[in-house]
Amino acid sequence: MTYILEAKDLRKQYPDKLALQGLNLQIEAGEVFCLLGQNGAGKSTTINLFLGFVQPTAGAAYINGLEVASNALRIKQYLAYIPENVMLYPHLTGLENLALFSSLAGFKYKESELLAYLAQAGLPVEAVQRRVGTYSKGMRQKVGIAIAVAKHAKVLLLDEPTSGLDPKASNEFSELLRQLSQQGTAVFMATHDIFRAKEVGTRVGIMREGELVDVRPTALLNANELEQLYLHYMH
Amino acid sequence: MIQSIAQKEFVSTLRDRRFVVLSVLVLGLLLAATLVGRASYRTLQRERTVAQQTVNDQFHHQPNRHPHRVAHYGSFAFRPKSGLSFLDAGLDSFTGASVFLEAHQQNSVNFSQAQQSGSLIRFGELTVAFVLQLLVPLLIIFLCFSAFTEERETGTLKLLLSQGVSLRQVAWGKIVGYGRAVALVVGPALALAAWLLFGEEEFGNNPDLWVRLALFGASYVVYFFLFIVGSVVVSAWQQHARTALVTLLGCWMLGCIILPKATANLGANLFPTITKAQMDAAVHEEAQKGINGHDPQDKRTALLKENLLKKYGVTSEKELPVSVGGLVMAESEAYTSQVYQQHFADLTRTYERQNALSTWAGLLNPYQAIRPLSIGLAGSDFAHYVHFQQAAEDYRYQLVQRLNALQASMGYGDKERKLDAATWRAIPTFAYHAPPLSWALGYLLVPALALLLWAVGLSWLGLKVIDKTPIA
Amino acid sequence: MRVFWILFTAEWRHFKAARGLVLLTSLVLLVGLYGIYYGTTEIGRQRQHLAELPALAHHNVEELKTKFPEPADAGEIGYYHTTFAVHHPTPWASLSLGQRDVNPYYVKLRLLGLQGQLYASENVNPAKVLSGNFDLAFVLVYLFPLLIIALSFNLLSSEKEQGILPLLLAQPVSAALVVGAKLAFRLALVLGLALVLSGVAMLWARVPLDGRVGLWLALVMLYCLFWFGLAFLVTGLQRNSAFNAVALVGLWLVLVVLVPGLLNVYVSAARPVPQGIELTVKQREEIHGGWDKPKTETMNRFFALYPQWRDTTTIKEHFVWRWYYAFQHLGDQSVQPLAVAYTDGLRQRYELVNRLNWLSPAINAQTSLNALAGTDLPTHLAFQRSATRYHDTLRAFYYPYLFRQVAFTHADYAKEPTHTFTSSSEISTTIRGLGKLLVSLGVVYAAGLLLFRARPINPR
Repeated sequence: MTYILEAKDLRKQYPDKLALQGLNLQIEAGEVFCLLGQNGAGKSTTINLFLGFVQPTAGAAYINGLEVASNALRIKQYLAYIPENVMLYPHLTGLENLALFSSLAGFKYKESELLAYLAQAGLPVEAVQRRVGTYSKGMRQKVGIAIAVAKHAKVLLLDEPTSGLDPKASNEFSELLRQLSQQGTAVFMATHDIFRAKEVGTRVGIMREGELVDVRPTALLNANELEQLYLHYMH
Repeated sequence: MIQSIAQKEFVSTLRDRRFVVLSVLVLGLLLAATLVGRASYRTLQRERTVAQQTVNDQFHHQPNRHPHRVAHYGSFAFRPKSGLSFLDAGLDSFTGASVFLEAHQQNSVNFSQAQQSGSLIRFGELTVAFVLQLLVPLLIIFLCFSAFTEERETGTLKLLLSQGVSLRQVAWGKIVGYGRAVALVVGPALALAAWLLFGEEEFGNNPDLWVRLALFGASYVVYFFLFIVGSVVVSAWQQHARTALVTLLGCWMLGCIILPKATANLGANLFPTITKAQMDAAVHEEAQKGINGHDPQDKRTALLKENLLKKYGVTSEKELPVSVGGLVMAESEAYTSQVYQQHFADLTRTYERQNALSTWAGLLNPYQAIRPLSIGLAGSDFAHYVHFQQAAEDYRYQLVQRLNALQASMGYGDKERKLDAATWRAIPTFAYHAPPLSWALGYLLVPALALLLWAVGLSWLGLKVIDKTPIA
Repeated sequence: MRVFWILFTAEWRHFKAARGLVLLTSLVLLVGLYGIYYGTTEIGRQRQHLAELPALAHHNVEELKTKFPEPADAGEIGYYHTTFAVHHPTPWASLSLGQRDVNPYYVKLRLLGLQGQLYASENVNPAKVLSGNFDLAFVLVYLFPLLIIALSFNLLSSEKEQGILPLLLAQPVSAALVVGAKLAFRLALVLGLALVLSGVAMLWARVPLDGRVGLWLALVMLYCLFWFGLAFLVTGLQRNSAFNAVALVGLWLVLVVLVPGLLNVYVSAARPVPQGIELTVKQREEIHGGWDKPKTETMNRFFALYPQWRDTTTIKEHFVWRWYYAFQHLGDQSVQPLAVAYTDGLRQRYELVNRLNWLSPAINAQTSLNALAGTDLPTHLAFQRSATRYHDTLRAFYYPYLFRQVAFTHADYAKEPTHTFTSSSEISTTIRGLGKLLVSLGVVYAAGLLLFRARPINPR
């Protein structure tokens, strides 16, 4: 069968360091895969490889069965990406930013539909017509989520999406991820947050110095056990 | 997709206060330069038309005179301003406006505006071309230096690309968007210029001028396109906005200020100009002693007289039906003029060699490609100036020879007699017709090609650079 | 003081590490040397051309000696003999060429009416003069500000952007000391460069060692200090590097490009100069009218000006030279008011620019340097006056031959007066410029200090 997200012996060598050594991974529809690891463990490199922003030294990444490196543009229709700190165009309003990004993805939404997406992501109504330059980090994050949701992607690539969000916003975000995964969206999320990973993830992977050292289904672990496991690998 | 990105850049730019302030400033300068240029064009044109009319009237209203007196009285040729010179004054301020046309000698074109002002004029004149060539590129640099660096620094680039857009599409979108913003600044000024031209009767139905204006506009479109593409590419190539800005400003200074001056000066150093005094002396020498030392003037005169006597079968000048003086004068004028033409051609060639360095530098520097193109289309370049000088000299030669012929026809003892005042009214006055665009095209070929080469080369190279832009 | 030195030497290490800046500084040094080379060769060429003129004049005399054997009529000699009024440059002209390439540096004169000859122009390539001179003054006035901007636009902002400033200010150092040390290092670098270039240029041009050396250096130093003052002022706004760069380049644009351009437009409009051409047209009319007027009328008008020749014989012939030269001179006389108005107009233009040059220190520096080098309009007008006086002495030399009808012998050629004129520096203009520069400097630094006083440095 084709996996939504797959890595085969994926390897990335930078001039000064080996960022990823032979990653093998398969993620199916509806799965929420959380990648845990310290700074510099290779989490962001993995996401950048799936996005096609970085070229692999060996092996290949696949999205919906297509090799990323040779289909850099085609695979983009299946994925949505939310970076750690969503930065948008400060001179455009939240609505205009969403309209721009959706149109780039090939969607022609009516204004009412765009407003619905922003509302679903939790952006306050009064903020919709303000320029993004005046937004807080959390508000920008919400527009980022709206952009991702409006794309109806098969897979969501998230790089530390909840860092810097307040607890309420984090919880709303987790709730949204759960809804999306129930609708069949696969989620691949890099995070430091063990408890969030346990809460939303179906599987967790632990990465250390570019190597995926362990993968477990979250159902079989409680949060404490996961923390112990994590600390075990880090020492 | 390119449209969406272009629209976003355009809207963002218009909402950026810094850009709005700068563009309003540049637009204001452009409009002011157009109006000031137009006003000074009209003043100069009127002055010259009036002066030409005055000297023409003076010529026609001479009393009874001997034709050689009239040849010394001479006339003046005033150089009319070319129709588009209000957009680009080019060399006009540094070339003289009038030349005294008289027998025996070719005078210099005198009274340039540069001689009528202090060194302030050397800072550069505030013409439309000046704003378009130097200030609009600066505006473009300020507008575009952060095109990619900022998106990369903030991470919006990743978000954009994750939507399935290619880097090239992003780059083209930006180029189109910035292009629209620049058009918004430059467009009104060109429209005003066209409207001002349209209002003039003499230009309203002069297709040559319209084609020139259209090409003028088109050249600048290519020039601005170059700067936009260049700035966007540098912005993609450099890691930080700061270094991109410094790189671009460095290029601007090198290309727009240092290189043009250096090549012009170097050209003058490599191919030294002969002084007017030396040239006059050489022309005089060769006219007297004959070109290459053969047939000096005395010999030529003696031969002429001998042949005349033979032709009419008489033994003395007194019996001749023509004035020997007049014919000698005509022969001498023809000979001197031939000598002068050679030296003038040499001088022009020297200047052309000096300027060639600048023209070829256009291949290295787009500013040095647009400048000759712009002044060539505006009719204020070196070639148009030489054309005027040549036309004035041709008229001078014909006028003097006509007067010599009149003198010759007076017969022996002409010096004691005068010709009737009506004679002078029959002589046509100097009327200069600026050359058509087709004449000027040859001079514009190299710069036009250089500019197009730049546009194609930069787009091609730029896309390669952009493809290799690191995203993460 | 110790801390200052630590910071100062740290700046030196930063500078050495920044390849781009080292490259830029070396480029300015090279460009400056090229400017010196160009200025000295240009003036060298003018000197050489001036040195060749006596040979041309001599050649002309030799030709006349064969054409007009003794005893010759002085009228013929005056008509065919050409001499030159020459304008020698000061050694300083190599450093600041000013208008010496636009204005002719010699005038070819015959005994004919002066006004028809005085304004003849020299062979110049208009494309070259349009591009302008690449002399040391250009490098100092135009390019040095850009070097200063490149060195100082991120005086504090780069530290701030890299997040080093809070660390730096957490040490027992005052922000003023940090800014001071940074500014002092860049000042030392730029002023050192300006000194070296000026020194090389002065040695190369072999300028006499007098007060003008001090004046030149003072002008250059103050001008550089002014631009540092602007950088200091912009730093005081405490914005990011990109803003600083745009603001400083904007200021450069306004002071070096826009104000001169606008001032040029204003000055031409405010001080319209009577058309020079009007003068030559009118003179021609007068002179040629002379042929058709009764000779006694012409001569009486001439004698009113020169009573000493009144007792010479009345003219009965169809043509005599003294009558010819009399109406030539009357032609000059008739346009005298126009000639005066023309030169006055030019002078007033120049003075108006000088009065308003405080608007831009760049104009001020340029006009002051040109005044020091004696290469601007006033010197050219002085040369034209000198050439006019020379024409007077030439006439005074020939008149006795013409009016007393003395034969002109070949030995008389040697007695003919010759002309030489050497530009002199306009010291008073330069000193006034220096004063104004000092005021601009004071204003900029005062504003900068006030700004720093009002808004203490915020490390973030």
